[in-house]
Amino acid sequence: MNRASRLEGFGFIAPLLVLMVVAFNAPIVYMLGLAFWEKGRGFTLEHYEGLLEAPVYLRVLGNTMRIALIATIANIIIGYPLAHWMRGLGSRGRMIALALVVLPFWVSILVRTYAWIVVLGNGGIVNRALQWSGLTDAPVSFLYNELGVTIGMANVLLPFLVLPLFAAMIRIDDRLLQAAASLGAPPRTIFWKVYFPLTLPALAAGALLVFILCLGFYVTPAILGGGRVPMISNLLDTLINQIPRWEQASAISTILLIVTLVIFAAYRRLDRKASGT
Amino acid sequence: MTGGSVWTRRGLAAMGIFGLVFLTVPLVIVIPMSFSSARALTFPPPSLSLRWYETFFGDPRWMEAMWTSTFVAAISSVAALILGGLAAYGLRRGTFKGRDWAEGNFMAPLIVPTIIVAIALYLGLAKVGLLGSLVGLVVAHTLLNVPLVMMVLGVAIREFDQRIEQVAWSLGASWSYTMRKVVLPNLAPSVFAAWIFAFIGSFDEVIVTSFIAGKYETVPKKMFNELVLEVNPTITAVATLLIAFTVLALAAVAFVLGRAGKLKETVV
Repeated sequence: MNRASRLEGFGFIAPLLVLMVVAFNAPIVYMLGLAFWEKGRGFTLEHYEGLLEAPVYLRVLGNTMRIALIATIANIIIGYPLAHWMRGLGSRGRMIALALVVLPFWVSILVRTYAWIVVLGNGGIVNRALQWSGLTDAPVSFLYNELGVTIGMANVLLPFLVLPLFAAMIRIDDRLLQAAASLGAPPRTIFWKVYFPLTLPALAAGALLVFILCLGFYVTPAILGGGRVPMISNLLDTLINQIPRWEQASAISTILLIVTLVIFAAYRRLDRKASGT
Repeated sequence: MTGGSVWTRRGLAAMGIFGLVFLTVPLVIVIPMSFSSARALTFPPPSLSLRWYETFFGDPRWMEAMWTSTFVAAISSVAALILGGLAAYGLRRGTFKGRDWAEGNFMAPLIVPTIIVAIALYLGLAKVGLLGSLVGLVVAHTLLNVPLVMMVLGVAIREFDQRIEQVAWSLGASWSYTMRKVVLPNLAPSVFAAWIFAFIGSFDEVIVTSFIAGKYETVPKKMFNELVLEVNPTITAVATLLIAFTVLALAAVAFVLGRAGKLKETVV
């Protein structure tokens, strides 16, 4: 009995486990190996020394961090009021708003990124509106620069922040807020002293998730940046597909992987706190 | 919380609506643009035509990409559904050690940046000589969609009362009979949702595919390659078709889950 229960259910996961180990874990380990090994000499850190010596790598890294941070902040500024507003809607309004957040989430990233070319281009609706209202005479260039990349990334990642935040907000008991009001707290105090602190773990978790996803973003910077806004992923693409330097690419991937896993561990802690388990 | 001045509430509503507009307007704008008769992306379109759809459907390369995408999505979504479904069941019902570890491993493709998965698979497949093969592509898409399947089915299995299965066993039903006649019929709406999600996930995948597909073109890969080079209005028609496809697929999921009363728990 004891022996059987120790293995019970293992058969169900065995096929997937085999596939994962062969086709996912092994390639990742092989990539880590390339980052730290040199043929005939064994363990080496020379690929990392190479990274430190070339200023271009550090510049791309700094660039990526900055764009990821700005896109995350933009997400918070747009996403928090949206989720908060959705919480106050009736059940019908909530369903509609939720559908409008979930739908873009499932539409191809490529399509959502491309849509911004249509909207932000020189003849696009935003520039038309700006010129018609007399705010500018010439078209504003939103595309193929950091602004366009940041707008596109904020847009693509917004559902990742709004959905968990909204889920955490609707779990907050209205009676708690009513109790604060009946004790004489003005709405502003209730919001900042009661409501906001209760949503903070979910907000922080969502923001970390968005930040992680920004760090590895590939499609949006490639299209909306037009090659002028290099981020880590696009650098990796160059090192694999254009000037093959696999060891260098593996070394950068390893750094990105470690940074991601560390932030993800923080995210997990916050997420557990936010969902109260 | 509904308190606060009229202006606070109006300000909040304005910000909320801005958020929704920011999310949805780009998609809404693409649709009329795809019926434009002009080559330049000017809004509103000067006059309407179907020329970009004719270009798309008349181009054998796009049609071949469509076929490859459908083929890879069909096989990999079913593989992800079977492997991920069995694993989700084993993880929820099993008592073996290391379940957390196994689950973390299965969910990893969702957490590890896709660009890293793409590079690792590129290097690994190059090593075993499967770079640019359909087999490599299908396996990669399967791995990437397993987490989606496991998230949807994991919830459904946890909500399904285990005692119902135990009753079937205690009445002498075999394992496979219990699966077919008790577990699957009860989970059918969630299985359908998981399959659709996996299919969309594979059909839209672009990063890993661009790295490992070699000479094979899928719709997103071809779209990406064209977009990096130049803005071609045919893409607007492709984008509209992909939006329509996603809306229809999600409507089907919402309908099936809604009928089973499971919509809310799967969405939020």
